[in-house]
Amino acid sequence: MRALAQIWQRHDLGKWIIGLIILLLLALPLLQYIPSEETLVTNLLLFSFTQMFMLVTLASNWNLTGGFTGYVDFGHAVFFGLGAYGTGIVMAKAGWPFVPALVVGAIVSAVFALLIGGATLRLKGPYFSIAMLGTLVAMREIVRVSRPLTGGGAGLTLPPYLNRPLFYYITLVLAILVVLFIRWLRQTEFGASLIAIREDEVGAEMRGINTTRHKITIFIIAAFSSGIVGGLWAYQNTFIDPDIVFLPARTVEMVMMTMLGGLGTVAGPVIGAATIYWLRDVVWANFLDYHLIMQGLLLILIVLFVPEGIMGTLGDRSGTTVGRLWGKYISPAREGTTQAEVNP
Amino acid sequence: MDQFLQAMINGIMLGGFYAAMVLGFSIIWGVMGVINLAHGEFIMAGAYFTWMMNREYGWEPFLALIVILPVFFVAGYILQRILINRVIERPHLISLLVTFGLSIIIANVYKLAYTGTPRTVESAFSGFWRAGEVTIPITRSYVVVAALTMMAALHLFLQYTRLGKSIRAAAQNREAAQIVGIEIGRVYAITFAICIALTGAAGMLASPTQAVFPFMGAPLTLKAFAITAMSGLGSIPGALMGGVVLGLIEVFIATYVPGIGTNLGIVASFVILVVVLVTRPQGLFGGLKPAGAL
Repeated sequence: MRALAQIWQRHDLGKWIIGLIILLLLALPLLQYIPSEETLVTNLLLFSFTQMFMLVTLASNWNLTGGFTGYVDFGHAVFFGLGAYGTGIVMAKAGWPFVPALVVGAIVSAVFALLIGGATLRLKGPYFSIAMLGTLVAMREIVRVSRPLTGGGAGLTLPPYLNRPLFYYITLVLAILVVLFIRWLRQTEFGASLIAIREDEVGAEMRGINTTRHKITIFIIAAFSSGIVGGLWAYQNTFIDPDIVFLPARTVEMVMMTMLGGLGTVAGPVIGAATIYWLRDVVWANFLDYHLIMQGLLLILIVLFVPEGIMGTLGDRSGTTVGRLWGKYISPAREGTTQAEVNP
Repeated sequence: MDQFLQAMINGIMLGGFYAAMVLGFSIIWGVMGVINLAHGEFIMAGAYFTWMMNREYGWEPFLALIVILPVFFVAGYILQRILINRVIERPHLISLLVTFGLSIIIANVYKLAYTGTPRTVESAFSGFWRAGEVTIPITRSYVVVAALTMMAALHLFLQYTRLGKSIRAAAQNREAAQIVGIEIGRVYAITFAICIALTGAAGMLASPTQAVFPFMGAPLTLKAFAITAMSGLGSIPGALMGGVVLGLIEVFIATYVPGIGTNLGIVASFVILVVVLVTRPQGLFGGLKPAGAL
């Protein structure tokens, strides 16, 4: 066991394994072109992976405000929805091609984050959470009544374009980019400031961190990225209406995945999103009616029993047996934060 | 002028209902520091109880209170003991997420049991009183009377009974209350039970005036939050004022801004919420505790 650990550390096997997984994921759609009796990789499977990559990206974005900065956003789906509607409207009404439309959607979402964040990010704790939940519900109603622009409750149909491998690659690359970006951000002074805001906002302010500007900046970054996901989702779904894009349950998903993986860690949302997505796809697909009930139950169980999440529990060397082994052999440095990082 | 008077009366009546429905939410928050995001779902459950009694046995909606109050009291007590008690001492995120999970579960259990079809509850008092050009729906005025009765009873209970006094003591200072011999666990469980019973009763009050469906809860939770933030935690007069203010704003928007329904009421309550929280975090009226003191 010890020898294995030494090999693991000397060659940095963790990185190799992650690289291998990414390579496999990149190669997956190519299996479609291998001639065989049965299709190895169905479009449905690619679709499932696409959904998962989107959830990974969304959970990672949510983690930027909810995990790193400590502002728990219950309405993050509003940015997903605005991205979807921004993209959808310029494509369906103005006939723009997809890529510029996607940029428009993301910008709409980011601008809205600037406006709403300026007000709501001044609120503390649960007030911020509920104000954002209110923003989500309010935005849904506003979109529903703005019938000439958004199609109202009847929804909006986008020009269909069902190239599953393309969406697979776009979402995969987006997820990788976002995770790498967050990993980089975490090591910058800006990232450390966010954590300082989470730990002690007044203290951070006294040390000369412009907390309001930091909070709004990270809020806009997360909104922009979630707007892109929303636009992609709208295009591959070809139909959007207020109830499916401004879904409070989507925010719950992001929160749940991040919590399960580990709040405020880089890998947490990825692990959490992958776990919950496949659990749901494989296990709950047979109990469709009970799906949301199970989701609520799982949320409660996670919050009560693993509030630190998988990464938190595993990273904590003093914790369980699994956690000790993980801390010793697989990931020697804890990925969460330590006091030393906050106050160097 | 008649339109104005009519809007005024409708707004105040809606406000009376809002005041009754916010009580449970506001007192749980004030006493335990738990923001119950499943609040609207308990209202929905109360409304479904009323609908069942009305459909199966032909009961008058108001009569359903006889069943709702004890059932919801017991349900609330058990729920507090097995679930809410675990989150009281923890950070706010934990209690928010647990009650959010609870709200999803309750709403979807009701959807499974009764489908998503909106239901209506017929009351025998479905006529109107007329005063000049202004009409007053009879059911709604009884709703207001019931709401005021609930508020008065709760006020008397909190002010003058021993248990009520210990609830207020627990809200003001948990440690000191324990030192003087108040059994905090029991007080919390009973508070939660009373609040859930009141919330179920508010569901009954909602049932004759709006459609009953599994997802009616979320907007009500948000409105409860806005009213509570406006009025101060656990303040009964505050709840009445806040409820009436929100009711009036909603009705006036629906009456005078053309082309939008009452759906935008939720937008109004959200705007109020943010404005109040940014400008006056202690609430407009004060209460068991200022809203800013978490």
